Amino acid sequence: MKPAPFDYVRCANVPEAIAALSGDEGAKVIAGGQSLVPLMAMRLARPTLLVDVNDVGLDGITVERDVIRIGACTRHRRLERDPVIARVAPLLQEAAGLIGYPAIRTRGTIGGSLVHADPVAELPTVLVAAGGFVVVRSGAGTRVIAAVDLFTGFLDTTLEHDEIVEDVLLPVAGTRHGSSFCEWSPREGDFATAGVALAIERDDDGRCVALGAAACGLASVPLDCSTLLAAVLGETSASGALLRQIARVMRADLAGDPDRADLVGLLAARAVHRAFARSDERSAAAA
Amino acid sequence: MIGERTERREDARLTSGRGRYLADHDVPGLAHVAILRSTSAHAVIRGIDVSGATALPGVIAVVTQADLDRAGARPMTHRLPLLGVLPLEWGLLARDRARFVGEPIAAVVAATRSIAEDAMELIVIDEEQLPAVVDPFVALAPGAPLLYSEWGTNEFFRMTSLPPVLGDVLATAPYVKQFRLTDHRIAALPLEGHGVQAAPDPATGTLHVYASNQQPHQLRTVIAETCGLDEQSVRVVAPDMGGGFGNKQHFTREECLTAMLALITGRPVRWIQDRTEGLISSIHSREQVHDVTVGYDDSGKVLAYRVDVTANVGNPILYFSGIGPAIVTVGALEGGYDFGVVGFDLRCVATNTCPIGAYRGFGQPQAHFSSERTLDAIAVDLGLDPIDVRRRNLLPDGPRPWITGGGARIDVGPLGPHLDALVTEFGYGRWRDLQSEARADGRLVGIGVSALVQGTAPTQYGVAGRFGSYESAAVAVLPDGRVTVAVGTKSQGQGHETTLAQVAADVFGVGVDRVTVTDGDTAQLPYGMGTWGSRTAVMAGGAVLRAATQLREKMDRIAAGMQTASAEPPTFSEIAEEAWWQTHRLPADEEPGLQQTVVYTPGNTMPVPDEHGHMNFDETFAAHMTAVAVEVDPETGDVRVLDAVLVSDCGVVINPMVVEGQHQGGFAQGLGAVLFEEVRYDDDGQPLTSTLVDYTIPEAPDVPRLRVVQRETPSAVAGGFRGVGEASIIATPAVIAGAVADALAPLGVEITSTRLHAHYLRRAIRAAGYTPDASAFASR
Amino acid sequence: MSQTVNVKLNVNGAAAEIELEPRETLLDVVRERLGLTGAHAGCEQGSCGACTVLVDGELTRSCLIFAVQCEDKAITTIEHFGSPGALHPMMEAFRRHHGLQCGFCTPAMVLTAIAFLEESPHPTESEVRSALAGNLCRCTGYAGIVDAVLDVAGVAE
Repeated sequence: MKPAPFDYVRCANVPEAIAALSGDEGAKVIAGGQSLVPLMAMRLARPTLLVDVNDVGLDGITVERDVIRIGACTRHRRLERDPVIARVAPLLQEAAGLIGYPAIRTRGTIGGSLVHADPVAELPTVLVAAGGFVVVRSGAGTRVIAAVDLFTGFLDTTLEHDEIVEDVLLPVAGTRHGSSFCEWSPREGDFATAGVALAIERDDDGRCVALGAAACGLASVPLDCSTLLAAVLGETSASGALLRQIARVMRADLAGDPDRADLVGLLAARAVHRAFARSDERSAAAA
Repeated sequence: MIGERTERREDARLTSGRGRYLADHDVPGLAHVAILRSTSAHAVIRGIDVSGATALPGVIAVVTQADLDRAGARPMTHRLPLLGVLPLEWGLLARDRARFVGEPIAAVVAATRSIAEDAMELIVIDEEQLPAVVDPFVALAPGAPLLYSEWGTNEFFRMTSLPPVLGDVLATAPYVKQFRLTDHRIAALPLEGHGVQAAPDPATGTLHVYASNQQPHQLRTVIAETCGLDEQSVRVVAPDMGGGFGNKQHFTREECLTAMLALITGRPVRWIQDRTEGLISSIHSREQVHDVTVGYDDSGKVLAYRVDVTANVGNPILYFSGIGPAIVTVGALEGGYDFGVVGFDLRCVATNTCPIGAYRGFGQPQAHFSSERTLDAIAVDLGLDPIDVRRRNLLPDGPRPWITGGGARIDVGPLGPHLDALVTEFGYGRWRDLQSEARADGRLVGIGVSALVQGTAPTQYGVAGRFGSYESAAVAVLPDGRVTVAVGTKSQGQGHETTLAQVAADVFGVGVDRVTVTDGDTAQLPYGMGTWGSRTAVMAGGAVLRAATQLREKMDRIAAGMQTASAEPPTFSEIAEEAWWQTHRLPADEEPGLQQTVVYTPGNTMPVPDEHGHMNFDETFAAHMTAVAVEVDPETGDVRVLDAVLVSDCGVVINPMVVEGQHQGGFAQGLGAVLFEEVRYDDDGQPLTSTLVDYTIPEAPDVPRLRVVQRETPSAVAGGFRGVGEASIIATPAVIAGAVADALAPLGVEITSTRLHAHYLRRAIRAAGYTPDASAFASR
Repeated sequence: MSQTVNVKLNVNGAAAEIELEPRETLLDVVRERLGLTGAHAGCEQGSCGACTVLVDGELTRSCLIFAVQCEDKAITTIEHFGSPGALHPMMEAFRRHHGLQCGFCTPAMVLTAIAFLEESPHPTESEVRSALAGNLCRCTGYAGIVDAVLDVAGVAE
């Protein structure tokens, strides 16, 4: 269980990394390495050159009015603990704490998790649910890719070979925001069999006015479920009837493995219940 | 001292990272081995081109079976003396046919493991795919692909014992039930995989082998045979072992192959099994289907019990033989019960899957699962309490030994008091009340019970065709009064450096810290039998006890003749010094020194039929009663253990801490087996569980604490020991299944399989018509 | 074979310069080059936790990081925390509570527990179990391990 041979370069900045990537078709970026290295150990991934971006300075967290900008090399452990993340992107904070185990979260990064694009991973699901973006750079400049346009299949994205994710952009949570990431897996640190990321915003009357949701475990990419959950819009609380309706609709309308669709429906109901509860708490704290 | 909770002597090195496991034995010039394995479940190998691999810098040798033939390697065989086992020989590498994914085809020796793996990718195999068969019933059907066409069948072995009266009793029994029970395939998965390091010594012409193996002496025999060496030319040392659990009990191709690679290359070589090799090609266990027919009366007493066992044995190229567990299953069908007339029809079926072999429990978990599911089914059918049904069927209190129809000599104490203790300690009545309350709230709470009588310290003859039932110990008291003990067993984590030291210390009346125990080295003793089958306390404990007692008696005789300056009797060290250094003063008929080697057997086993047709495979028996309460989440299928109690009678307890540890660990493995673990293949024989992401064993949050209650009924063997290593892993799948079945009874879900994993239960619950309550789930 | 590079490592406070291939993991390097065999290769896929060490004070699976990535980082292995003659209190607690059998997972389990208590000195049993969830043990059923950690934390069982 040893990787195939490769060369290694540690880059000091993004242009250096882009140059290294551009110069070798078999090159691959390594950040935390928690997904890439197991694949290399099994020789399922065989990069000829590893371009190490841990020291290129992509680990800032800044809030710019209604957007939070998170450097791609920010580690899960920080997402889990950073008070700014907790305040403006609580869905991301909760999801980060559900990834693997502590010794994985100390190394793994948000950018790495997104471009690895594992369909049962938490962070891609959060990006779709929150309607986030990634900012990517290549020799040609930068471009912004919306979550729904990023993921194309199992471990596959629309990133070009010479593009590097610099930042992740997520909307800043409002004062009556509520969110929840609910997943089910056989064991605590396992990849989820199914999971639902959900965020709502409510108006001053407590009515749900915006909703974003995505599910993992059903398809080769995180599935946007906002439309399926439209019944939540306009509601002021997570009534039993609403929750049962959600589960029923999702079970009936989601394609794929019926067992997972069933789980997604239940988890969506739980996510709605918790999102309202957290929104209530947040509103109370703000008042 | 025996009975004390002595902290373990091995723990100082093991906790601080100074243990020395197989991979921690670097020597100058060490080369590394990688093994190329079949990616096809069934294929004819037409040719192997190693030229690219051989040419890679850093590669020392690339070896195929043809090379092994030229170097004088001999084939392996199952050696089974049983009537009707089909003949089978195999090379250390596949010669012209691969019969499961993971079967070894070629070996690379290189300067580093990385280079060996690079070279492996350059080997080109010319093969022709053949249809594969994975399911044993498909394999038995006419027209199935045959693993060994010369057999004309995939039925490797069939054994029946159907007393004529069985059919009569079943025909006249007031009640008869028939059902099918399934035990799924799992893997023992010691955290340290297999590994071997072999080095030829040109000075002496001997081969020094380190192996992470539970039976070093037998491995020496098999390596000597396959490599064409004398037994005295091979020394096998098993160093610190990162678990074994039966998975390291067999004598594998890889161990013999690595020895051959050392001989061929003339240098030290090491093979460390990686995790994927371990999961796909090491040894799998348990897979059986039981077709049960049971006849019983109004009181729940079983009158007749027939189990037709279909055992998938994979590609049965394993020594000792992989049919062993199935043979034990059919010998243990009754356990600690009197089921009247018992019969079986056993078929061991070859398939294109990894060989089936030993895992802690060795065939007994399947037998116990069936007996406990059967008794629970009777209880449900007759509206009786499952505890009462067990009482009706448990062996009567006398006579002892209780001799079963087959000849097993069961020597456990009275079983009723153990069951009473279980009812009390578990709070059985209270749990039934709590269950009623929970059911009234719509919650699925269930209670399971198991009454286990387990044969311990078995003879290996029945599955290996040789190797008796005994153990060796060499005990010495050195001139400074320190005690050394060498045994032929091998601890894989059981703590023998401490427990066997306690036995010797107890005899000598010295502190445990004055006793040093070594094990697992063939240079220390002519022969030993290793550690497996809950045997070490009984066999090595007995051997140490015998040897130490003989020495103690000699020391008493020497002391009686000693003159001391004061009126005080001579000290332990003074006697030792006298025996070794003042030999002119010893009594005339006393040999000098204090050293005693004992080859000990309790003498209770008889692995071939006696004049009554009786056979007994176990030196003694232990009794364990278990109860658990579980709650099943009908939405997710999760099983949560609310309480678990095990009443343990393993005879005289040497160290209660170690006994409890064996039970906690076996409980976790049993729980893992039914809730998390399953080895899976697709229909083409491709393994689907080749990493720890797919083969999931319990983690810290998954295993509740087992409450262990220890009771002691000394056995008649030396020391009164009974053996403890396997009890809880045998009991746990059955008792969890009983509890889950009880929990799900209100939904009409029946449990007929060891597959209690959440996704299976979820499906079964939905199939029974249960509609999930999203609102209740959401607020949980 | 790829190019080799020289890497300066700081392991348990001692500097070491090693010529290695980029593909050599930190696990292989501390074990094979530095003789620190307390970190164990249980899976080499990041699933079992037996290879856990500290990198700049953070719990890290040494099979999932290449040694070449560790230049100028402080590596701490189990050997730093104690020796058979001078056990760390966590090691003593594992011995006292029978928190190990075969010992293969133990050094990483001990190290993880030490790091965990530094961050969470007064954990509940359930927090202890979660903190150790990524370290597989096949022998003990975890009961003794959990007891040992709670004991060191001074939390009554």
